Amino acid sequence: MRIKHYFELLRRMDWWLVVTMIALMVISVCFIYSASYRGPGQPMPRYYQMQMIWFGIGLVIYVVAALVDYRRVCEWAPVWYAMAIGALVLVLVAGTKVYGARRWLGWGSFGIQPSEIAKLAVIVAVSYYLFHRPPETRRQWRTVAAVLALAGVPLALIVVQPDLGSAMVLVPICLALMFVAGVRVKHLAVVVAIGLALAPLGWMQLRDYQKARLTVFLNPNKDPLGAGWNLNQSLIAVGSGGLTGKGYLQGTQNLLGYLPRTVAPNDFLFSVIGEETGFVGGACVVGLYGVLFLRGLRIAADARDRLGSLLATGVVAMLFFHVFINIGMTIGLMPIKGLPLPLLSHGGSFVLATMTALGLIQSVWIHRRVY
Amino acid sequence: MIISAPSQNSEPRLRIVGIVIGLGLLVLLAALWYVQILQGAHYGNRDQAQSLRRIRIPSARGDIVDRNGVVLANNRQSFDIVMYLEQLDHPSKRQNVVRIASETLAAINETLGTAVTLSDHDVRIHYEQRRPLPLTVMRDVSTNVVATFVERVNELPGADLIVTPIRQYPFGSLAAHLLGYVGKPQGVSDDTEQEPERFYYYQPDMVGVQGVEHACDKFLHGAPGGKTIRVGPRGGSVGTVSEKLALRGNRVVLTLDARIQRIVEEALDNVALPAGRELRGAAVVLDPRTGEVLAMSSRPTFDPNIFNPGVPAETVNAVLYDKARSPTLNRAIGARYAPGSTFKTVTLLAGLDAGVITPHDTVVCQGELRIGTWPRPFGCWNKHGHGALDMMGAMRQSCEIWFYQRGMAVGVDRIANMAMEFGLGQSTGIDIGNDLDGLVPTPEWKRQHRGEGWWDGDTAQMAVGQSFLLATPLQMANVAATFANGGTVLQPFVVKRIESPTGETLRETQLTVRRRLSVSPQNIELVRQAMATAVQSVDGTGHHAAVKGLNVAGKTGTAEADTAHGRIKRAWFIGFAPYEQPQIAAAVLFEDAESGGHTAAPVAAEILAGIFSKSAEKTAGDRGLYAD
Repeated sequence: MRIKHYFELLRRMDWWLVVTMIALMVISVCFIYSASYRGPGQPMPRYYQMQMIWFGIGLVIYVVAALVDYRRVCEWAPVWYAMAIGALVLVLVAGTKVYGARRWLGWGSFGIQPSEIAKLAVIVAVSYYLFHRPPETRRQWRTVAAVLALAGVPLALIVVQPDLGSAMVLVPICLALMFVAGVRVKHLAVVVAIGLALAPLGWMQLRDYQKARLTVFLNPNKDPLGAGWNLNQSLIAVGSGGLTGKGYLQGTQNLLGYLPRTVAPNDFLFSVIGEETGFVGGACVVGLYGVLFLRGLRIAADARDRLGSLLATGVVAMLFFHVFINIGMTIGLMPIKGLPLPLLSHGGSFVLATMTALGLIQSVWIHRRVY
Repeated sequence: MIISAPSQNSEPRLRIVGIVIGLGLLVLLAALWYVQILQGAHYGNRDQAQSLRRIRIPSARGDIVDRNGVVLANNRQSFDIVMYLEQLDHPSKRQNVVRIASETLAAINETLGTAVTLSDHDVRIHYEQRRPLPLTVMRDVSTNVVATFVERVNELPGADLIVTPIRQYPFGSLAAHLLGYVGKPQGVSDDTEQEPERFYYYQPDMVGVQGVEHACDKFLHGAPGGKTIRVGPRGGSVGTVSEKLALRGNRVVLTLDARIQRIVEEALDNVALPAGRELRGAAVVLDPRTGEVLAMSSRPTFDPNIFNPGVPAETVNAVLYDKARSPTLNRAIGARYAPGSTFKTVTLLAGLDAGVITPHDTVVCQGELRIGTWPRPFGCWNKHGHGALDMMGAMRQSCEIWFYQRGMAVGVDRIANMAMEFGLGQSTGIDIGNDLDGLVPTPEWKRQHRGEGWWDGDTAQMAVGQSFLLATPLQMANVAATFANGGTVLQPFVVKRIESPTGETLRETQLTVRRRLSVSPQNIELVRQAMATAVQSVDGTGHHAAVKGLNVAGKTGTAEADTAHGRIKRAWFIGFAPYEQPQIAAAVLFEDAESGGHTAAPVAAEILAGIFSKSAEKTAGDRGLYAD
């Protein structure tokens, strides 16, 4: 009886979204395999198997998130938010230190990044908050201030980990949500202007490696063996791919390890794809994301209520920011930030967060009003 | 709580969000287009520049063979023990490389029972700049060591045995000066810190340093091969991309006859020198019909095999920097000596040609002669005096007084001109280079270089091959060859032919006539007869050069020279055989000996007898009589 109801709901899923997601997952496993491939007969790390496990878990969460009514999920928004803040505080106290930053909460070999939970929590919390504000108050400063406060707390907690990249993701999420919710453009412009004005102050707080990462994209040859190494090697990898690439498992930049093996399967997976499949492959990946985002916005437009609309917008904004920064980084358009590519990069927390987010959108679609 | 608020209001703003996202994706596509399509070639080049390395593979030098194909220089295999630093357990820091390398080296030493050391600096330079190449630990190890190594190679990870070509001279010192030897090229050091191109592993070929090896280097060295390998970011090799085999060098066929060369060398070594004198000298054998060098030898000598890697530096330096003996100096072309009485042949021809000397000119030799106001008389080697001598007698007896008097009558200009016609005072143009000009003095030369005027005494001295005259043994052999062939000055040469590795002839040296003496054949014949008399008469000074069954013609010479060790005597013999149709012309010189007649002539006899398979005539009477 209940089962039948769920089947009915599943049939209402947006299959564009599902097919695009599955396609990206297949690409992900293939190229994580390639990124850790060392040559015939050579031992290789099993990242691609781990990714498949993550995808398996992710699919379960995805289906659950899609079936549960997003409105029920959002009723718990304060709880999710509180849990996220708790996790962020916990990670600062008890997190595992990796490369000088406390980003991981670990139990044995299993670890998650609370910042990924925080992204979702902020989307849900801000959407929930804006949804509950009477429309007329959305044009007031207090609404803007409240949203900034809601996002500011987790943002600050993530910055001190430090994980500048993840923290920055919260900014476009909030701006997109406020914009779509109807906040005055003038107010948003003031917020952005203040943010830019404060940037030099923030710059002074940065650690040296962060400054190096941020400046090196302006002149990658400044320190080609140090900070510029990843960017240079990624550019060479993508550029040498040409129109059609060097072929699957044939990327020398990747195979020989010029593209550092520690980052190739995750932050620089797009470099591997670009090298081995060329412009054709790279454009396909960008195209797939395009389908994902436009379907997401379509869902936002067709949502039953403003809450669903905001949820979908927030998720699309988050994923778009990740895609733009990550691909931009691999081709020297953007500073180097440790932002993974949604559904492609190796890494459990972000895979689960992304699939949860996509499940939420699917829920918005499934629970839309059908005329 | 489930409220259904209309969302239509947000449509335009959602559309704007969609446009922003669409634009963002277009920016990404445009940037991808720029990087992959417009700049694709640029990044492709950078990809290759950082991951491809070219390694130069030295080629095997060509063989050097004598006129009959006897191999005088070729290559053999050298077994070298090497270490591959990139295989040594992935050291991450410089110090670790050095430490691991020295541990491996210690293991090699222990296993093989050797005691080789490497400097930390060398290991580090090699690791940083030539990682994919093997670092040579021991060169040219013995078969015992090879056997031990092969047996226990599993205990020595990172160590390997490689085979490299090494220059070898099968007959050791035979014709060492003529063949020359090989060494590392000048100016290319092992230390590649200043090497301009980082991605180019330069393995220098050995280059010829002296003799034929040097003169024919461009034919012998071949074309180096190349190998392109792919390297990882740490510089270690990960595979070969392409390979071009090295081309073997060409084969150089010499005019030399190894049999004659051996005869000459044995004759030089067998010379009877006065007690306490060191063997220093040279001998040259030419074919007077062509100018081909059949043999060229110099003493003291050396073994060119010592210049191979693997021979201790002390051994090499003991040869290279032996200033006192100069064993690597080719005295046949690289040293010049007063020709002494051998030059009387030239003086005589100048006089006959000018009509100043006739065969019937008679001079009474009283053992000495006063010239001008010079306080001391000019002496003859025979202090007792030869008595009355005609031209033939003077040549036979090598009388100084006769040549002083007739020489002064001929005059310095005519003698100098004739000497220059013979090619004295200038390089012979031999194709192995480095031969000295020698010196033919003239009054003008003396004024310029000595600041003194020329006087009759100089002319008299010059007539007997002293004064300031200087010539190389090769030049004097060529003088003999010119008399032998009846007046044609040929350019001596050593390289007969260059052949490609497949055997086709690339170039062949043609006979080069430098000059024909502008002298009547009758006068040349007179001098030839006089040279025959000097050897064949029982009382001829050159009689020790006589060979039974062979008509030898020649002239001895004993020139005095003042050296740091006091006044010493150069012993000369120049000659040709057979007299009727000469096939051989030769010059023999000893730097510090008794006399031409006693020291050089018997050596010439041994050489000629050997060449023509006769036995030297040992019938000469009182040895003391034939001095000059």
